[in-house]
Amino acid sequence: VTGATLSPPPRRPRHPLRRALHWTNLAALLVALFAAAPLYWMAVSSFKGPKEIGSPPTVVPRDSTTANYSDAFSHYHFGTYLANSAIVSVAATLVVLVLGTLAGYALGRLPVRGSGAIMTALLMISLFPAIALAAPLYLLMRDIGWLNSEQGLALAYAAFNLPFAIWILRNYFRSVPREMEEVAWVDGASPLRTVVSVILPQALPGLFTAGIFTFTACWTEFLMALTLNNADDYRTTAVGIALFGSQYTVPYGTIFAAATVAMLPVGLLVLAFRRTVVSGLTAGAVKG
Amino acid sequence: VSGASGRVRGGTSTPHQRYARIGWIFTAPALLVVAGVTLFPIVYSAAMSFSHVTVTANGFRLSGATTGNYTTLLESGRWRHALLFTVLYTIGTVLVETVLGMLVALVLERLTAGRGWMMALLLLPWAMITVVSGELWAYIYNGVYGVFTALWHGVFGTTVNVLGTPLPAILAMSFADVWKTTPFVAVIVLAGLLMLPGDVVEAARIDGAGAWTVFWRVRLPLLGPTLTVAVLFRVLQAFGIFDLPFVLTGGGPGNATESLALLGWRAMFQDLRFGPGAAVATSTAVLVLIGCLVFLRAFRSQVGDDEVTV
Repeated sequence: VTGATLSPPPRRPRHPLRRALHWTNLAALLVALFAAAPLYWMAVSSFKGPKEIGSPPTVVPRDSTTANYSDAFSHYHFGTYLANSAIVSVAATLVVLVLGTLAGYALGRLPVRGSGAIMTALLMISLFPAIALAAPLYLLMRDIGWLNSEQGLALAYAAFNLPFAIWILRNYFRSVPREMEEVAWVDGASPLRTVVSVILPQALPGLFTAGIFTFTACWTEFLMALTLNNADDYRTTAVGIALFGSQYTVPYGTIFAAATVAMLPVGLLVLAFRRTVVSGLTAGAVKG
Repeated sequence: VSGASGRVRGGTSTPHQRYARIGWIFTAPALLVVAGVTLFPIVYSAAMSFSHVTVTANGFRLSGATTGNYTTLLESGRWRHALLFTVLYTIGTVLVETVLGMLVALVLERLTAGRGWMMALLLLPWAMITVVSGELWAYIYNGVYGVFTALWHGVFGTTVNVLGTPLPAILAMSFADVWKTTPFVAVIVLAGLLMLPGDVVEAARIDGAGAWTVFWRVRLPLLGPTLTVAVLFRVLQAFGIFDLPFVLTGGGPGNATESLALLGWRAMFQDLRFGPGAAVATSTAVLVLIGCLVFLRAFRSQVGDDEVTV
């Protein structure tokens, strides 16, 4: 992010403590606490036994136990849910990145007539509420035998996330200097080769952003997964966790243990790519 | 064979036409996937909402056109309540999230150290499975052993069951939503803030404009397009809200927190009333479409009408 380096106006050097207690830092601390407190509560509750979790709250567990974690994997089929989520999310993300790169490049760089209108239409489609698609998609998937399958859900997720990915990638491709691809073309490289070896390396942050957004959206999606993959063997993490327990008892310890595990892949992804996400968005959110 | 196709490509078409054709070849797979999975169902959903739907042994079939599903809808107090709730919930949460998100972004912009880590922390609630955050807040609000209930008791000395009464339940759900999505708004706005041309702001400062004036008169207008897109995405997401009431409140108490999406899903997949359910789904989509058209100008300014030429 290059725009970030605004040179601050020269100021009198201040006492380090006063600078640390500056209101922006305190406000940021408040924001951090607001964001982190419920997450802490989830993580800490996952180590509490069934008796402690159903009694007045304790800030630190009295008797830490990992029983909730083993329970999630042995008593419930949480391992299966995780695997299903991973397969569906990775497959959908790969499809989105491959098709999105081609379409984003074409709409951003090639003389496709009506590319602006296509982009607008794609974005509008992506904003349609999932509920409007649930019943017909259920019917469609049933007819081709893809209810309770990995490929059915992955295809649906790919379609839902393609428009936003195309938008981000298209804006990114537009910011890549044109000379480079013209050189490649003059050298006789095919369009596909130009995209793969010249354009893509320059647009890597955009690719990461699109990938992370797609993966996160797939990993957290609920309505479609609940509708299309209802059989226990094909449930995703979100559906599995939502359907833990019965109408009368809610096994919060197990739910939070599972939730903490489910948080890890996306959490690590966000931590690892925190700068890329924002710089990719900067190019994606603002006209390129 | 290769000579023939080479002659057609290289001989009779200009480079411009060739690149245009390649552009279509590159765009077609993505368009096919999107159209196949979304356009057909949208049309089918609309057709279903205007049909008698008969439930059969292995699903349902359409028999004959009718506007009865919509009549059912308009006469249903439950649908009117869901519509009112969804509209008010959307306006309320998005308003709060936008203002808070702006404030957080402004704070983060001035932060000299640890901005990357703050960003990562803020992205965590956003990356959380909504169903999980629903369970988490249900536990926090629990009337017997929830930490919110304990804090309330500590401060006011009374017991409270937030999810058991309509208005508190709505506020509690809104708070959970604000917690989860304010970071998303903040990150987008921050990205927009960092993109603002520094020289314009600097020029305003040199001209003697105070921080307040610079913000309202220079930075906010420049931030307009970014903010519009963030708000638009949030409005349409909030309008389709399903996961949070499904888990946190089950649409209750009564039907107090039943959104349009939840009502539509229950009508179709629990009560097997596919006709009215499709009417709920389609009318929700139409409302979203109207929202889109209203904001189309904002989209246009983002997408840009300029088409690329080689």
